Amino acid sequence: MALPLEREMPPDADAPEEVRDLLNVDTALIEKLAELLQRTGLTEIELSEGEARIRVAKQPAPVVANATLHTAAPPAAPPAQAAVEVAPARDADTDANANHPGAVRAPMVGTAYLTPEPGGDPFVSVGGEVKEGQTLLIVEAMKVMNPIRSPRSGRVASVMVGNGDPVEYDELLLIID
Amino acid sequence: MIDKVLIANRGEIALRIIRACREMGIETVAIHSTADADAMHTRLADASICIGPPAAAESYLNKVAILAAAEISGANAIHPGYGFLAENADFAEMVIEHGLTFIGPSPDHIRLMGDKIQAKETMKARGVPVVPGTDGPVKGDVEARAAADAIGYPVLIKAVSGGGGRGMKVARNDQELDDGLRMARREAKAGFGDDRVYLEKYLERPRHIEVQVLADHHGQVVHLGERDCSLQRRHQKLVEEAPSPAIDDDLRSQIGETVSSAVADLGYQGVGTIEFLYENGQFYFIEMNTRLQVEHPVTEMITGVDLVRAQLHVARNLPLAISQADVRYEGHAIECRVNAEDPATLTPTPGTVHTYHPPGGPGVRVDSALYAGAKVPPYYDSLIAKLIVYDQSREACLKRLQRALAEYVIDGIKTGIPLLQAITQDPAFAEGDYHTGWLGEFMEGWTPPSY
Repeated sequence: MALPLEREMPPDADAPEEVRDLLNVDTALIEKLAELLQRTGLTEIELSEGEARIRVAKQPAPVVANATLHTAAPPAAPPAQAAVEVAPARDADTDANANHPGAVRAPMVGTAYLTPEPGGDPFVSVGGEVKEGQTLLIVEAMKVMNPIRSPRSGRVASVMVGNGDPVEYDELLLIID
Repeated sequence: MIDKVLIANRGEIALRIIRACREMGIETVAIHSTADADAMHTRLADASICIGPPAAAESYLNKVAILAAAEISGANAIHPGYGFLAENADFAEMVIEHGLTFIGPSPDHIRLMGDKIQAKETMKARGVPVVPGTDGPVKGDVEARAAADAIGYPVLIKAVSGGGGRGMKVARNDQELDDGLRMARREAKAGFGDDRVYLEKYLERPRHIEVQVLADHHGQVVHLGERDCSLQRRHQKLVEEAPSPAIDDDLRSQIGETVSSAVADLGYQGVGTIEFLYENGQFYFIEMNTRLQVEHPVTEMITGVDLVRAQLHVARNLPLAISQADVRYEGHAIECRVNAEDPATLTPTPGTVHTYHPPGGPGVRVDSALYAGAKVPPYYDSLIAKLIVYDQSREACLKRLQRALAEYVIDGIKTGIPLLQAITQDPAFAEGDYHTGWLGEFMEGWTPPSY
């Protein structure tokens, strides 16, 4: 049956060239993805064609529950199986971090800022001591700066996000030992 | 230029929008709650972002989180789907204020049609037929009798402050009117502290007929005929079809033209649906939905117009590529809503789907986000699949639908499929002889086969 609305819309007219070309170019693929990642400000890009699947990430994959999903097999595969496949490959450290009592997670989706103002010193750094209630970083959502405070006193064991990184809800931000 | 669309929804409608975008070369961003982390829409979109916990109020209805997700993903348009924020004028306004395109009508149009009294007055003033009734409360019995004569019996006595059926009485003659008025006033006084009542024409066995419209930003409007959505239970549609077994070509163009000219006069843009009750050749306006409808596929099947593609086309400010003269109706389409619910009690049945086998073959379309292993979370709507079947005639379509329903395998949770099978095998449904009260009556005498 005719689709009259198609007339003025040549297929793929609006697809960015790099997206259309990506899967044909083998050698430059990673480089192109990395560029795209940088330019779009995303934390990860995942592409699949047939059985082939490639994923480029800017940082350790976020929350474990979500990471399982993001790295899962192509859509056709049931996630139950996919999770099983992925689980052994997962960094044991990530599991430990996910359940760490000092895990600090993003209470909202937004942009993480590690410094109080652009170019300033970071709120905290790895190895540094923090007190309960101290501001660890900021998550900006819709121009509102939300200070993320330390749930307890201790030492900053690791920081999982970079300055200016987009963060998802419930994403692991840092660990307080 | 829209080149990256964030879909502020989940389930089958998120997939429907992702599909249209992909076919147009538009990138997609899915949002999801933690409960939907492994849902299909998060896997099919180009990017997906977790925006909140399971409760819809903190995720799919969280305007700030959705806009923040659009910001960090670089999306430049938001498609709201249906439900959730689709008819939330404040959200549409926020989207526009943030420099993004809201794929839908203007916030003003959403707001206007969201106010049911204003909507009725607006449509009435533009020649769209509404349920006849008194303009305001009726004072004495004499005035009420005169009004009832003008409207024509039967009439419905309704409380001005009413709701939930209280203070509502049907009167079929003068005597019943006098009695009904007294009882309705007393109930209304007791229930709402306000004994004012008004009269409206009472429709005994109306059909629910709705007209699909499509309008661009350049003043052009087309209508794409009607859908018959009379099979409802507790005002929830279950089976929809196009064309309606009750509407002929003349009626269709008549109501279509009335609706198109009203919509053009309003300066409305995008897709919209004008819902009517229909009885004895007369249409009575109920409301206008300023969004894509769940049952839009039946219109797509018989007209060949892709409504989601059309939405994106209009949102890009392009003029409609079709005029009314290009709209053709071919064949017949029926949609069944497959819900995760106990077919007998209609209580939701969330859980995990173990085996999944959707029907296929000629003329069968399944819009669903299900797969083997999919979780149906308890937090959201129970609609899990739409089975849409197309064939050259209604009779052939019905046979094909019965065949497709028998093929459908969803194991692990109870679904409404047994009820849908019973409905499609009923002689009255086969005759097209049904109305909005039909399904309720049908279910009283029906018990699901044990399984």
